[in-house]
Amino acid sequence: MPNIVVKAKGIKKSYKMSKQNIVCALCGVDIEVKKGDFSAIIGPSGCGKSTLMHILGLLDRPDEGTLEIDGVDMTKLPEKRAYKMRAKKIGFIFQGFNLIPTLTALENVVLAGKYGGMNKTARTKRAKELLAMLGLPERMNHKPSELSGGQQQRVAIARALMNDPAIILADEPTGELDTKTSMEIMDILKKLNKEDEKTFLIVTHNMEVAEACKKIIKLRDGKNA
Amino acid sequence: MEILRNMWRRKFRTALTIFGIVIGIFAFTVMGSMALKLNKMISGGKRYVTGQITVSPKGASYDSSGGTLPLDTINKISEIEGVDKVSALVSLLATDPDPDNASVNMGQPPTIYGGDNSSDFKNRNWETMDMREGRMLDKNSKDDEVAVGVNIATDKKLHVGDMFNIRGRDFKVVGVVAKTMTGPDSYIFMNIKPARELLIASNPFMKSLSASGRLKTEDVNSSLAVSWKNGADSEKVAAAIKDKFGKEVTVMSPVKMGEMIDKASATFNAIILGSAMLALIVGLFSIVNTMVMSISERTKEIGIKKAIGASPSSIAWEYTLEAGIIGLIGGAIGLGLGVLVATLVNNKMASKGAEIFLLEPSFIVGVIVFSFIVGIIAGVIPAMRASKLKVVEAIREL
Repeated sequence: MPNIVVKAKGIKKSYKMSKQNIVCALCGVDIEVKKGDFSAIIGPSGCGKSTLMHILGLLDRPDEGTLEIDGVDMTKLPEKRAYKMRAKKIGFIFQGFNLIPTLTALENVVLAGKYGGMNKTARTKRAKELLAMLGLPERMNHKPSELSGGQQQRVAIARALMNDPAIILADEPTGELDTKTSMEIMDILKKLNKEDEKTFLIVTHNMEVAEACKKIIKLRDGKNA
Repeated sequence: MEILRNMWRRKFRTALTIFGIVIGIFAFTVMGSMALKLNKMISGGKRYVTGQITVSPKGASYDSSGGTLPLDTINKISEIEGVDKVSALVSLLATDPDPDNASVNMGQPPTIYGGDNSSDFKNRNWETMDMREGRMLDKNSKDDEVAVGVNIATDKKLHVGDMFNIRGRDFKVVGVVAKTMTGPDSYIFMNIKPARELLIASNPFMKSLSASGRLKTEDVNSSLAVSWKNGADSEKVAAAIKDKFGKEVTVMSPVKMGEMIDKASATFNAIILGSAMLALIVGLFSIVNTMVMSISERTKEIGIKKAIGASPSSIAWEYTLEAGIIGLIGGAIGLGLGVLVATLVNNKMASKGAEIFLLEPSFIVGVIVFSFIVGIIAGVIPAMRASKLKVVEAIREL
């Protein structure tokens, strides 16, 4: 396995608001994430953090630049194949948890395994193991609405881990949590990084979260600061 | 399971959509089974009329009110080249219509069918009738014997050996004809002689002519069935009869009658197709509407699913299937109601021999499959839209 998990060079992305008004969200960003990194991307609002996150997560395409994930060139990857990469190589943790409200905690986690191509028995087994590891053995069959914010985020972490991705992208993972729960979630992520060598890239504007990271990448006005 | 849960998230809306399909499929089931019944009756009639050349006096209607065909003409027709055998027939309604208690009746009313059982004539397509009980009339049958169609037997609770009073005269039932799903189910078969006498008795004009000796009983014939010799062309034989007796009689050749009946069938088939289209359009749009709304509500969820690796086809399939299931549930309920109504009405009408619905298993299965397909078709476009949602835009709704 290559040591470099994410290698992005000269990433540019602009949005056309009107004919004259083209906003440059990313104006040539370079980023490199090595296996086992625990990095934070920080910067003021509107600096392009989320756009970068979407591009690294293959949710959006850059206008210019090259992107390699786990040694695979994603620049020319057709959308038809991007979903497979998202399922297998990338784990997402969102600010608003983003669990499917009609599914139970277990089903939410299992769903990721289904998209990742695991068979039914294997994905159910793994989902149960992950939820138990994250301290939710009793809450597996509850719907998200019956879980606290911290519990929901732990389900989301389990979902992100399901297919053992090359990198886990976390967008403000503690943004909707109180300080105590935030620290609990950060502890879980740090532990996963330390013990299981999971690679994390965390977007945040919370300095406490950023300080908990080993490496900080600063963005300003769509560029590396 | 997830699909059912999603449908149940908006119970009222899903219920309304399903209700729309229920109405459509209900209409389709009822109209369709009615058309099937009519088609069946028509095809039975077709089989019969295309097996013979039917000659009737000018001005006669199908139930033989008006005109009669004199024996002399019948004898002359039998001598035409190509004609094999002829058989006179007298038919009249078993009871006079009651104008004080008029009702619109679908299907054949009970009809007396007086055939010339001494003739060797055979209908080419319908040589013998299957019997449920007893026997059919033949050359040796007496004038007070009748065989009855299954609807008459059911209505009057008749069995072999029972006496049956028809237009004031007692007859002995010697046979009950097995169900044919068409005309003969409502026939009372008897010898031609008593049928002629009943016809004369029913008509004051004929009665007075007969009483004064100016009308011979054997000249009273409602129609004539003509068979053609092997090797002869039915159409040429029919044309020859028409050439000679065209002024006195109407000749219905097998081919022409077949065509006429096919046209009538086409009308009923258009009814099936029309009601199917109605069900299709109503159902289709209500499902499309529901799915479009449901997808716009679930944009965020679709975004999440795509972000964690759902393929566009799995998203499309999920929503298409949801629409298909809405169609299927609505279809099943609509079909159930349709079958219930058809069965209830049939049971009520059966005794009068006027069952108006025919529920065939293949039709029922067809309706269920059809409703599922309607759902699938309705779901395709919204589902494609869902699968093409841009993840970033969907996620921005967070």
